[in-house]
Amino acid sequence: MATLNEAILSLDRLPALPSTSVRLVAMLANGGTRADLHEVEAVIRADESVVASVLRLANSAAFGTPGCTFSLGDSVRRLGTRTLAKIALETQVSGQLADAGVSYGLRRGSLAGSAIGGAIAAETLARRHRVDPELAFVAALLRDIGKLAIDAIAGPDALERIAAQAEARPFLAFEREAFGADHAELGAILCERWGLPSEIVRAVRGHHEPPSSPADPVTDVVHAADCVARWAGLGLGCDGLLYTFDAGARERLATTRDELEALIADVHSALAPAGSAIGASSLPNLRNAA
Amino acid sequence: MSRSPSTPISLPSKPDAPRALEFDRGARDRVVVGVADLAVSRDPTKSIITYALGSCIGVTLYDPIAKIGGMLHFMLPDSTVSPDKAALNPPMFGDLGIPLLFQKVTEAGARRERLIVCAAGGAEVLADDGHFRIGNRNRTILRKILWKHNLLVSAEDTGGQHSRTMTLRLADGAIQLRVQGKESQLWPR
Repeated sequence: MATLNEAILSLDRLPALPSTSVRLVAMLANGGTRADLHEVEAVIRADESVVASVLRLANSAAFGTPGCTFSLGDSVRRLGTRTLAKIALETQVSGQLADAGVSYGLRRGSLAGSAIGGAIAAETLARRHRVDPELAFVAALLRDIGKLAIDAIAGPDALERIAAQAEARPFLAFEREAFGADHAELGAILCERWGLPSEIVRAVRGHHEPPSSPADPVTDVVHAADCVARWAGLGLGCDGLLYTFDAGARERLATTRDELEALIADVHSALAPAGSAIGASSLPNLRNAA
Repeated sequence: MSRSPSTPISLPSKPDAPRALEFDRGARDRVVVGVADLAVSRDPTKSIITYALGSCIGVTLYDPIAKIGGMLHFMLPDSTVSPDKAALNPPMFGDLGIPLLFQKVTEAGARRERLIVCAAGGAEVLADDGHFRIGNRNRTILRKILWKHNLLVSAEDTGGQHSRTMTLRLADGAIQLRVQGKESQLWPR
């Protein structure tokens, strides 16, 4: 059994979020203005995988022009600051999460897919419920970052052993018992250490147990988005569905079953084309904008 | 049949229909069925596998004489919530995917009266007070459609909160489950 101190010490062993990612988060949290475009472009040009994602998206059927092929410069201008910042951040966080979730029995890439699927869901829900979509997107993308810390403490099959013996109660409770803190709390501490905005720290901390007094709309949206991602089969490890959909958050969002089921279908479809999720989250946005 | 028996038939509804996130297409002897996906095979050297069955349900149909089998991994019970996605990808929904699986296994040569049906998945989030119950409603649509086809489930492992991995071995129709790191055989018992 680990203590909270040991859990927090384990955070020191984790690689830091790249400084460019921290800047992208700050930009998105502030609305991503045109003034930020040059900085985003510099981040993109420094990373081949981001360049590929940007070119693919700008030239995709969703908003490419038949017969035209757009260069990187054209693509940057076409896509705009916010979309570019999201693509770059998605790529960097996916890299960070590529091998994460081993202790939950997740296969490579599974947690990254869940991060992006949740971000797509959160952004859509946020637009419907008058919550800042960029904040919701970033918070949902980072919501499970604390699972990196659990991986560092837990070893390859510790969680599977715990979950196999356990009765049906929230998985966060098992994590607290075994490691002194759950992945939501550890994720929030990581985000704080990286200097991310307090709205994101709060949503990461509450994404399974959203607070009710006072309630936080971004956290409610990220919480619902996490459930949507699970129902879409994303990021399901030995923790399975051992989480609740908070009744208070459900009432505050006034979300219906049909609305969420349609969103589950949307999330699955947005992730599926081309076998790669990168850039997928930006598509619904751009379709709406077109 | 003109098709080679060694060729698994993977059946997205259209050539460009989305398959699920598939981070591991698996070894040569395995056909991986993604979320909202189905596959049929009459190659007895192969297995069909699907991962991460949470509230989703994996359904298998197997003809033990012809050694033809198929697997569907559907996500939601009712296609009316998203007609455009249903048109693009029918296996996403139980009401369309289950009849499609029947159609594809019988087209591949299986006989309906010999089919063995197994199911796994249909888990729920904790303390769902009846508002969503996606796993439960997935189980209900499966039973309704089987009833229409005059079939019963031979073996199932559904409900609870856990994620399941399901494998159909085409040589003998055996269904293996992996739940919480433990392997078990669902059929034959």
